[in-house]
Amino acid sequence: MNEKMSILIVDDERIVRESFFHWFEKSGHMVDTASSGSKALEKLEKLPFELLFVDIKMPGMNGIELLGRVKEEYPDTIVIIMTAYGSIETAVTAMKMGASDYLLKPFKPDQLSLVMEKVSRQHKLASEYHYLKVQLEEKTRFDNIIGQSPPMEDIFRLIPEIAASESSVLILGETGTGKELVAKAIHAKSRRSNGPFIAINCGAIPDTLLESELFGHQKGAFTGATHHRKGFLEVVSGGTLFLDEIGEISPKMQVDLLRVLEEKKITRIGERDPIDVDFRLISATRRDLEKDVAERGFREDFYYRVNVIIIRMPPLRKRSEDIPLLAEHFLQKYCHETTKKVDHISRDALALLRGYDWPGNVRELENAIERSVVLSKSRTLGVEDFSFLSPASSAVSRHGSLREVEKAHIQETLTECGWNVTKASKILDINRVTLHKMIKRYSLQRPAS
Amino acid sequence: MNEQSGTKMRVGVVALGKIPEIIPKSMAAHISGYLNLHTNVLPALEHPAYAFDKERLQYNAGIILKSLEQERFSDYEKIIAVVAVDLFVPIFTHVFGEARQGGKCGLVSVYRLNDPQDDSAPPPPLLLERAAKVTLHETGHLLNLVHCTDSKCLMHFSGKLADLDRMPFYFCRYCLAYLRDFRQKPPPAAPV
Repeated sequence: MNEKMSILIVDDERIVRESFFHWFEKSGHMVDTASSGSKALEKLEKLPFELLFVDIKMPGMNGIELLGRVKEEYPDTIVIIMTAYGSIETAVTAMKMGASDYLLKPFKPDQLSLVMEKVSRQHKLASEYHYLKVQLEEKTRFDNIIGQSPPMEDIFRLIPEIAASESSVLILGETGTGKELVAKAIHAKSRRSNGPFIAINCGAIPDTLLESELFGHQKGAFTGATHHRKGFLEVVSGGTLFLDEIGEISPKMQVDLLRVLEEKKITRIGERDPIDVDFRLISATRRDLEKDVAERGFREDFYYRVNVIIIRMPPLRKRSEDIPLLAEHFLQKYCHETTKKVDHISRDALALLRGYDWPGNVRELENAIERSVVLSKSRTLGVEDFSFLSPASSAVSRHGSLREVEKAHIQETLTECGWNVTKASKILDINRVTLHKMIKRYSLQRPAS
Repeated sequence: MNEQSGTKMRVGVVALGKIPEIIPKSMAAHISGYLNLHTNVLPALEHPAYAFDKERLQYNAGIILKSLEQERFSDYEKIIAVVAVDLFVPIFTHVFGEARQGGKCGLVSVYRLNDPQDDSAPPPPLLLERAAKVTLHETGHLLNLVHCTDSKCLMHFSGKLADLDRMPFYFCRYCLAYLRDFRQKPPPAAPV
């Protein structure tokens, strides 16, 4: 059967547009027409035409200018240039700019047919290319972690080696850098992949509740313990336990966990007899645990027990070459989810995204793409769609230590939200309890009104 | 037109200007034979001088079709006209025939089908064969068939005489299936 394409005819002469329309209609293609270059661009913003026939000589934007714009904004669109006044010079210019063919009007009937056969082959090749690109992206994604920059390639090389061992792993990195994804990847490649993967955010749970969550309790062990409950340390048996924000746990909990890691036994709250446990520990933190150990905020023995192997997740600004890949991935994700027809990020917008510091890292980038797609009014995301990215954040993050950057970002967010902790915690994508702890840690104060 | 109710579509073949009688008769016979439609040869109409383009020295097929659509062929659902002049559409140097997709009127030119072009001799069998193929192709468009990728099918686009000559009198099974579907649809309601 014929491969149907969506075709746009751009010519200022009505009879030419009509003639093309009737011919392509008889071939079963979806065809539309535009009388000028600017009208063609308006139509392209709304619909993804696969093939354009463009006349060179048009008032206003000529065909060569239109070709340049189309190749810049919609590089996958096939463009055929046509003219009644051919010259070798314009033909060469057009082909160098990316036109697929150059036709002199009027053309012999079989000529157009041959051009369409060639275009059809080109279109099929492009489809195959896209398919293979997706396959390659699946490979570079590495268990849903996207990246092809050197720091990420180092991590991809490490993961299988780490997965093959049983050693505890500590993943360090700023918020939103994909620490949990790496933990899942290690679990998926380990011999424990058939066992459970349980993730607990230690910063989100008060210490008293964390003990019960991890160790379980007997009925009646404390007020509110109305039934027996297995703790996560028991439930995760045979699998991997991921403790996120391990820097937030109390010294007492550190001691309890240290004993578990050394003895491989737990005792439920309210019970006497210990139970054997079998799990692999992966933990993560955004804090500088070495400094915390030095300042005696974190137990040294526990620290050395959890960080047998360290993985450092690079912040997004240190792997900016991954930003286009990530942006494309999130664009496809949210176009699919929202059914919006947004399929391209302009070069200028990509440059903006690459230049931004991303204090919230990949999570912030994902949020920005989602927001832009939802609010977008055209097929292409431009610079204006990312105007909400605050330049002030990039100025702060260029100077100072990680703690200073984090403190400044939290302060700025709280100020923007009028010190509404709930709202600020949502923007920062952390738990309210965690935010309160951080306000206390950095001695942040609400300004006197 | 509804084959389920037993009413066959009626097609008229009409010469525009002076054309040897055998040509429209042959065209009608092929439409009737291959498409199983009631086909009659109608009285000739005037030569389409109104469609002559002084710059191109050819006849504009689109203008002729528009003129035919304004004629009253009330007893006929489809009309195929035949001319002996060189036809063009704006984007092509020439065409052998032209029809609007799913339209009422189609057009066939025998001008370039006679090889060598010699009006003094009777039309050779090859001319009649070529005309018949173009006729069936354009009638196919009127019946809403699109161009086919099967080079042996009559709905395959032929830009050159050599391609036309290589093509057998054959609609591929897909085009035949589309034809069956089209002919089984109920006719559109008559305008009030």
